[in-house]
Amino acid sequence: MLKTANPTRPKGIDDLLTSELIAKLDPLDLSSKKVFFGKLKGERRSKKRGQSVEFADHRPYSIGDDTRHIDWNIYARLDQLFMKLFLEEEDLSLQLIIDCSASSDCGEPSKFLFMQKAIMALGYVGLVNLNRVGAAAMGEAPGSLLSAVRDLRGRRRVHELASWVCSLEPGGDFSFKEAAERIAMTRRGKGLMLVFSDFFFKEGFEEGLRRLVGHGYDVYVIQVLSPQEIEPPLTGDLRLKDMEDLDTAEVTISAPLLKRYKANLAAYCQQLAAFCARREMTHMTVRSDTPIDVLILDYLRKRGIVK
Amino acid sequence: MTWLTWPYAAIAASIAIPALLILYFLKLRRRDVEVSTTLLWKKAIQDLQANAPFQKLRRNILLILQLLVLGGLLAALGQPQIKGQTVTGARHVILLDRSASMSAMDEEERGEKVSRLDAAKKQAIALVESLREGGLFDKDKADQAMVIAFDSQAEIRQQLTSDKDALKRAIEAVTPTETPTAIEEAIRLAKAQQQKRKVEGVEVEGLTSDVPFTMHIYSDGCIPDAGKAAPGPEDKVEFHRVGTSEAANVAIVGMRAERSFDNPNRLSVYVSMENNQTLARSVDVELIVDGQGAGIKTTTLPAASTDGLTLSAPEAARAAAQENATRAAAGVAAPDEAPRNLVRPTPGVGGAVFSLERGAGAIVQVRLRDPGSGTPLTGDVLALDDSGWLVVPPAKRLAIAVVSPSKNLFLLTALQGLPLSRLSELSPPQFQQKALDGTLGEYDVFILDGWLPPGAKKPLPVAPAAPTGTPGAETPAAAAPADDVKPEDLLPPGRYLIIGDVPLRLGQTPSGIKDLGFGEVSSIVDWRRDHPLLRSVNLDGLDIAKSRKVEIESGSPAAVLASSDTGPIILDASTAEIRSVIIPFEVAESDWPFNVSFVVFMASATGYLADDAGTGATGRLIQPGSVLSDRIPSGAADISVKPPVGDAQKLQAAADGRVVFGPLTRSGVYNVSWKGASGPTDFQDDEGRATRFYAANLFDTRESDVAASERVELASKVLIAESEGSAVADRRLWPWLLLAALAIVMLEWFVYNRKVHV
Repeated sequence: MLKTANPTRPKGIDDLLTSELIAKLDPLDLSSKKVFFGKLKGERRSKKRGQSVEFADHRPYSIGDDTRHIDWNIYARLDQLFMKLFLEEEDLSLQLIIDCSASSDCGEPSKFLFMQKAIMALGYVGLVNLNRVGAAAMGEAPGSLLSAVRDLRGRRRVHELASWVCSLEPGGDFSFKEAAERIAMTRRGKGLMLVFSDFFFKEGFEEGLRRLVGHGYDVYVIQVLSPQEIEPPLTGDLRLKDMEDLDTAEVTISAPLLKRYKANLAAYCQQLAAFCARREMTHMTVRSDTPIDVLILDYLRKRGIVK
Repeated sequence: MTWLTWPYAAIAASIAIPALLILYFLKLRRRDVEVSTTLLWKKAIQDLQANAPFQKLRRNILLILQLLVLGGLLAALGQPQIKGQTVTGARHVILLDRSASMSAMDEEERGEKVSRLDAAKKQAIALVESLREGGLFDKDKADQAMVIAFDSQAEIRQQLTSDKDALKRAIEAVTPTETPTAIEEAIRLAKAQQQKRKVEGVEVEGLTSDVPFTMHIYSDGCIPDAGKAAPGPEDKVEFHRVGTSEAANVAIVGMRAERSFDNPNRLSVYVSMENNQTLARSVDVELIVDGQGAGIKTTTLPAASTDGLTLSAPEAARAAAQENATRAAAGVAAPDEAPRNLVRPTPGVGGAVFSLERGAGAIVQVRLRDPGSGTPLTGDVLALDDSGWLVVPPAKRLAIAVVSPSKNLFLLTALQGLPLSRLSELSPPQFQQKALDGTLGEYDVFILDGWLPPGAKKPLPVAPAAPTGTPGAETPAAAAPADDVKPEDLLPPGRYLIIGDVPLRLGQTPSGIKDLGFGEVSSIVDWRRDHPLLRSVNLDGLDIAKSRKVEIESGSPAAVLASSDTGPIILDASTAEIRSVIIPFEVAESDWPFNVSFVVFMASATGYLADDAGTGATGRLIQPGSVLSDRIPSGAADISVKPPVGDAQKLQAAADGRVVFGPLTRSGVYNVSWKGASGPTDFQDDEGRATRFYAANLFDTRESDVAASERVELASKVLIAESEGSAVADRRLWPWLLLAALAIVMLEWFVYNRKVHV
């Protein structure tokens, strides 16, 4: 809720990932409820028939087929040419989206730091399992997309991802709809998409989410709220200033008002959850004071993102 | 509800309320807090507003509470007061009747009988309590009141003031007197406090430039002179009646003692009594002579009657209509009871006569007792008129000296027939010698037959007319030429029957009688048959051969008792020191000595002249309320007067021996005592101290008829008694408003805490 007075910004990967966390993350791999076509050959079974060691099916030979995949044993028995099809193993595309608006940079602990850490942890899991990891920061920029990294693959890219995450500086306002459009347009392949934000968009989250879904992504909506947003520590006559659009609201904090606020917050989260459920998105609300390992190992594993 | 200082409240409100509102707007400058989003807050506010119809009110409940507090404080500043009945008019005159009838014990308070005056005082104090108070800031706006106590005289006990304590003290200090009632002076006294309104520089009687008075008369309505009292046309008069109209009273209304003409030792005491009850009543009349019971008589007093006064039917209807109109005008509801008889019943009159042998002087007291029991009358509300006193001088025959240069046989013959103690003939030098010796007191009356002291015959020197052109240049002392008359040549103080001569001076004062010398034959034309001197004298057919022609100047103390065709022939001339009857003609030169009326005249003239000396059977009767004024022999020292109640008081005699004490407030026996020569009727003790007694009695029919009257008819308006309990003490509301403001402040604190501590 309240702007973090002296936000701690991660300087490097050590601030984002501790060795204990890495130790906990190493056994994990990403998973998706959906099976996507990969772009590169990876460690994930693909829908495509390909050249893995796992047999998938047979099909009659047709002219032009690679003769190397003819099942000669069947030809010997049946005197017909059958092609031996194998399951293709492909990589998984992981798209991580972080909200870099000013509103993210508040709360104690900071929502933004929490999101940075979550992205780094998930990115690490993705990279070490040879998945294609891309990340984008929504923020105040033309097109509402602050910066992005694409197609990172392999353990060697971890530092690259870390330095990108550390380079992010929250601030300003953006249009979620616009940002979502850009992300959808520049997508590469299909895969997992995790959107970290508080989803407090004045224009509404629906338009943006609608643009993200339906392009082959398995979208996870992770709403990060600070403890202060859930339990506002406010009293007195206040002029609340929206740190994004500098909108103000004059309130006199009273018990009924707080009750009303909490009810509104619950309803908002409920609305977001319902919206996501209707569109096969997975929604989840986390507090920014949740430890990252709890988030990854408990909450996300339960929802099948990591296994 | 009255606001004492509403302008202050209005001014304060015009400043304070906008100031509070401005403060409130300033207070809306809230603390800035940066939040991630105002989305949910705005929604919450909107929800709250949508859900709570009184949200606006609730939002500003603190402002409203503060406005309430401020309103309470401002209203308190206005000092509102509530009273059950508004007392209009800002100037009140409290006229408190303290006359004898106000001592009647027919008011009740907590089961005990209290006097009417006490009840009236209580009502008056309630009125004072109900007066509007000045605010804290402007005392001028307060109601003012004045306290006047009246009996036969009026006295301002407290000038106009708004000091309620002073007013209450003044009311409390009023004590009852035993005098008749007269309200006219009281109302004139009140009116004198008003400034007359001037119209074109001329003061207009009855119109005041001040606020008109509201006069509150606290009385029992027994006000005989009410018809003379005329309050101003702008003044409001309210009559607060005390006492009941059923009050029963038996009273002594008159007493007289007489000595028989032929036997002065035989003393008759006449007592007349009245009964205002509608039932006949028997009373014992007790006679006490010098403190010893001397007789008792039972008398039945008839009931009071309305027989002679019953109004005819149309008159009664008219009177009732008039009364109803007055009631309506006065805003008093007509009583439910059947129309009362508007005329007061005439009291039943009775009397008693005591005869006793007593030559010496005595103090006679008569008191009324219950028959047979000797206890004071039961059911009689007014005790003070149940006894009466008389001072009966000793039975003394007159001592008369005839001063004449020659023997007057007619005169001496006539006088010798009278029961006198002493009849002396004095020559003028003897008289003058006695005057020088100061032994004139041996005689009660001197008859100066054809002789006057030389000084009495000389006119007072007249100041020469001031030369014109120098008005006021000379002082009067310088203008009056020296008086060459020696004091011993003047007529000394005393009582004189002057025959055949006319004094131009009575002592030092001019007699105002002009002697025009001897005139012609004349005969009597007219005489005052009602005068005590001539009551039993028939002067018809009196012829005078040689008479002095006499004229009376204006301002003269002389009064004509009889006149002939040429002018006055019998005059009564009295000054403070000298009492004289003047017969200007020579008796011997008329046929009067041959007429029986001459002897009768001589008897009544000497009796009349001596009467003032106290030799009459009933002298020195004073009614409370009047002033004891008498002359005591010159040279008296250490004069004191002892009232019936209380200690003796010192008096100073004037140069001519006159002492004045009073006005008397109590009935009873007063005595004036002094060291020095005593008069013929004074008691003299061994130490040379002379005492003279005076009896003060109420003896007032109106005052003793104690039935309280419900209407008082003043000259200008008729007053109907106000219903009781009209004055309700005002209650100051501002302390309550302050309390309310405090309560609201506490409520505000509570509300604020409820709001903030979630």
